Amino acid sequence: MSAAPALSFEGVSRWYGDTVALADVSFELGPGVTGLLGHNGAGKSTALKLCAGFTQPSSGAVRVLGTDLAASPDAYRRIGIAHDRDALWPFMTARDLVALCARLRGVTDPAAAAVRALAEVGLEDAADRKVKGFSHGMRQRVKLAQALAHDPELLLLDEPLNGLDPAQRRGVVALIQRLGEEGRTVLVSSHVLHEVERMAPRVLVLVNGHLVASGSTAAIRGLIADRPRSIRLEATEGRALARELVGAGLVESVRFDDGAIVVESSDVERLGRDLAGLARGVGARLRRVEPVGDDLESVYAYLHQRARGVGR
Amino acid sequence: MISWPVYRLTLRSILDGRKALAMVVLALVPVVAAIVFAAAGEIDPRIFWARLLQRLVIPTVTAFIAVVLGAGALGDEREDGTILYLASTPLPRRTLVMTKILAAWTVSMALLVPAVVIAGVISLGDRLEASQILWPLLGVALSALCYCAVSSWLSLATRRPVVVGALYILLWEGSIATFAASADRFSIAAYGRALAVEGVVDVNAPDASALTAVLVLAGAIVVAVWAATRRFSRTELP
Repeated sequence: MSAAPALSFEGVSRWYGDTVALADVSFELGPGVTGLLGHNGAGKSTALKLCAGFTQPSSGAVRVLGTDLAASPDAYRRIGIAHDRDALWPFMTARDLVALCARLRGVTDPAAAAVRALAEVGLEDAADRKVKGFSHGMRQRVKLAQALAHDPELLLLDEPLNGLDPAQRRGVVALIQRLGEEGRTVLVSSHVLHEVERMAPRVLVLVNGHLVASGSTAAIRGLIADRPRSIRLEATEGRALARELVGAGLVESVRFDDGAIVVESSDVERLGRDLAGLARGVGARLRRVEPVGDDLESVYAYLHQRARGVGR
Repeated sequence: MISWPVYRLTLRSILDGRKALAMVVLALVPVVAAIVFAAAGEIDPRIFWARLLQRLVIPTVTAFIAVVLGAGALGDEREDGTILYLASTPLPRRTLVMTKILAAWTVSMALLVPAVVIAGVISLGDRLEASQILWPLLGVALSALCYCAVSSWLSLATRRPVVVGALYILLWEGSIATFAASADRFSIAAYGRALAVEGVVDVNAPDASALTAVLVLAGAIVVAVWAATRRFSRTELP
């Protein structure tokens, strides 16, 4: 990249008393959409707060559009922020609220900007209603509209899909993709990998305040798919089936748990392909096959371990 | 220095809540007291008026209205999280603080000015002179501004600004300062009272000269704005 990155973290840590919210995080972001992935409490919100200038790092340096926001608040004209806090002035109409935000950020025709931004998020029909009566999904979109209204170069979106129904999600995902294609720098946080996958070609993964992975979303997806996983099988002829599985090299370990077999495999895809045939071969009937601990927590735990293992 | 869109927003925000209604009731108290006095009329109206100002209008009615509104102007936005929209603008933090204080003071005065004028007219009756209304108005205006500024600092420094403000009014100004004279020097109400009774001759001795009162209150306002701005830049926003 020739120009300064829109957003850069240099060895940034943030701690609250004894609690470390963010530990020595460094990255640079340029144009396009980047996902910020992590479980609740991983430090996503702290990272976004630091980006937005709402708190200062305990050590390290955060640079936003080439400056330090605390010293030059003028840069807020070029930044759009949608917070995770569900806060809006209840007595205002959506139109007034978005126009006010645009105006405070130096837009010359805030009324027109509000109309445009509300149309982008599909709220033009509700523009003149007070936000007091808005559903959660509508409020989310008002927050997004106020972040867009002043045509910012950098967008910081904290869980923008929360509270949206599937149709609204698709709309917002498409909008975020378009914002990235227009050459804006968009950082969007989420705790759901497949959501991030749809919006962002790149991703930063935070686990317990550490940046454990960063790169293309597809590569991270691959990393996650390749990890060893536990599968629980309920079948007749369990012992014979287990013997076959080990013999075929499909699983690394087998243990019996209350009549079921729990196997660990690093190639789940192959296991999935070959399992039925093997079972038939030994005359076993599969009653149930399910992954164990395949939630995000364990995915993150795996990434965390792996990051430590390779010394990052 | 002042952001008028934020000023209008804050006026709407204050008037939207039920808080404003409670403050109207509080502002009516001196009027009711004046009506009761006018009906009974046992003492010199000027002495009654001076006591009403010194013991009710300034230390209780003005103090509580200004503290509640001043604390809410920034504190409610901080509590709700809407402060983030204001903080992510190019407006300097000092402008936001001063705008919020001005808006809280505007609403306070909209309640207090009519209350003082009406109570004064009723209490003094045919002994009414302009200076007996104007000095109290100056005392109310300056002390209200000071209370607003201090409570807006409190709203950034603590999570319970109204509680802290009320404790200050009741414990410090209302109790300690009444028997420990030196404590009165750190009491906003004392300077407000001094100004308020300036035009009401030879009643209770004023707590300070009018000039001292104006200077001390102005100084306290400047310090409170500075402290609030500093606090705003340093605290982590929700």
